Amino acid sequence: MNTNLFGLALLLVIGLAYPFVLPGYLTVGITMLLFIGWATSWDILGGWAGQVSLGHSFFVGLGAYFVALGQSRYGLAPWWSIMLAILAAAALAYVWGRITFGLRGPYFALSTIAFAEIFRLIAINEKWLTGGATGVFIASLPEPFGIDLFSRWTQYYLALAFALITVGIVALISTRRFGYQLRAVREDENSAMASGIDPTAVKLKAFMLSGALTAVGGGIYGIFLSFLEPHVLFYLLLSVQIALTAIIGGRGTVWGPAAGAVLLILSGEVFRTTFAQANLLIYGMLILAIVLFLPRGILGEVSRRLVRRRYARSAKS
Amino acid sequence: MADLIPFLQNIANGLLIGGVYALIGVGLTLIFGVMRTINFAHGEFVVLGMYAAIVFNQALGWDPYFSLVVALPAGFLAGVLIQRVILATIVDAPEESSLLATLGLSLIIANSLLLIFGGEPKSVLVPYASSTISLGGGVNLSIVLLLAGIATVAAIGGLYLLLNRTEIGRAIRGTAENRLGAELVGINTKRIHAVVFGIGMMLAVAAGVALIPLLFASPTTTGTVFTLKAFVVTVLGGLGNIGAAIGGGLLLGVVEVLGASYLTSEYRDAYGLVAFILVLLFRPEGLFGRSVQRV
Repeated sequence: MNTNLFGLALLLVIGLAYPFVLPGYLTVGITMLLFIGWATSWDILGGWAGQVSLGHSFFVGLGAYFVALGQSRYGLAPWWSIMLAILAAAALAYVWGRITFGLRGPYFALSTIAFAEIFRLIAINEKWLTGGATGVFIASLPEPFGIDLFSRWTQYYLALAFALITVGIVALISTRRFGYQLRAVREDENSAMASGIDPTAVKLKAFMLSGALTAVGGGIYGIFLSFLEPHVLFYLLLSVQIALTAIIGGRGTVWGPAAGAVLLILSGEVFRTTFAQANLLIYGMLILAIVLFLPRGILGEVSRRLVRRRYARSAKS
Repeated sequence: MADLIPFLQNIANGLLIGGVYALIGVGLTLIFGVMRTINFAHGEFVVLGMYAAIVFNQALGWDPYFSLVVALPAGFLAGVLIQRVILATIVDAPEESSLLATLGLSLIIANSLLLIFGGEPKSVLVPYASSTISLGGGVNLSIVLLLAGIATVAAIGGLYLLLNRTEIGRAIRGTAENRLGAELVGINTKRIHAVVFGIGMMLAVAAGVALIPLLFASPTTTGTVFTLKAFVVTVLGGLGNIGAAIGGGLLLGVVEVLGASYLTSEYRDAYGLVAFILVLLFRPEGLFGRSVQRV
């Protein structure tokens, strides 16, 4: 826990200082922080509970659309919209999970794709609900305490708060009863049941928390984009990106997804000119390398080595 | 009578398109049945076939169907290579590993194509693109679709002969039934896995070549579409069941064509996906499969 607190403090300090050091790279910072938050939220379900979802872009889209439609149609301030989005995401995750948690392993992953694709088709075709394929525009936002929500600085600090909160929640979970339940379910559902855990209930809680947190990030992303297109927000490749970020960084670790986000967004920036549109090439090559050589992900492997060394040392003395 | 002719026309077109879907689905289901690998790169293999036909057409002026002569062996070798280098090393890892590995592979293929050929959709224009053959009674078949259908029948027929009439086919079926058992009676299951992945990729490439005169290929989106279609086809039929994948493919083709002409086509893809989820939940053995008790 102490290392986690130290890590959060470090993230806070670096996060606060970043815009002053690199004011020209605010959008990179926002993207990175959003992906830290999304990958960490994804990991509650994908890493800690062991249910790989390839449909999380749905929750990103949900959060973004709640903010945009709340503002443009009902004049609802973004913070209220985000709270509604949290409720909606948790409710939908509950239904979604109820239907599909009977499926194991890869079959669950396949069903999440199918679900997210159906939601994407609804978002594109139901004009009354989402504004249809043309998208929605956020024309104006309220200014709480004179803060301009359209400013990149504000958005940056919102994204920072989002990243800190998600990593903080996962750090908390990792030492709590719920965290142990999640790991028990991941390792073996039958033995988890034998020790009095209800796997479906645990997985449902994980899915609801994961979806709700992702939707919060989606709301901030919506403000950041200010023009929402269903093709972009509900895109399968965004789901893939979120999942791969967490897996490359290290599933089921507190800091793995964050590390993955930093690595992938940075390398995306570095190779921007070389690869341009084809920046997912990096994700493809890294995930292949991870599966073949570091199945626990980058931080997962590092922490395993550290733990081993510590035990080796205590055994010697 | 006036309504019957367009209906028959649609059925004919649907069956021919569905044949190509079947070809894609058969490869996916064969790979799953023998290797237990869920191949996420299958749609990208189809796109590779499309781009092979485009390249040969633009560089050498070949007819797309003639490029099969090169594309088929190349597809087989590429499949064997991919299995040997990537999938063979994770054969005993959890099922998710192969899913992630092939997902990575699909991203690599799609984005490499994007880097090399650029993002604009490409196709091959053949001189006989709009020619048709009359079947009598006002039902016409487009030559392109007919050629695609013939290619499909030839490929599936060949696969049938291979699986049921040859020694290696017996070894493949044995490996699918029980890998350890096959190993015990002297079958080199590693080689069988490589051969099967090669065949699967070859079938996908053939489907890509057969489809390219009909539609445009774009590097990053077409592959995903076909991967999803392939999953729908195979899950409809029951993963691992070849005959059922053919049925599933034909069904999807007919449903798509009929749906596009009689219903609004906005939710065309959604019907397949809903069916996909329902089958996965309630009949995981597939629509045509017998239920199997698994230990």
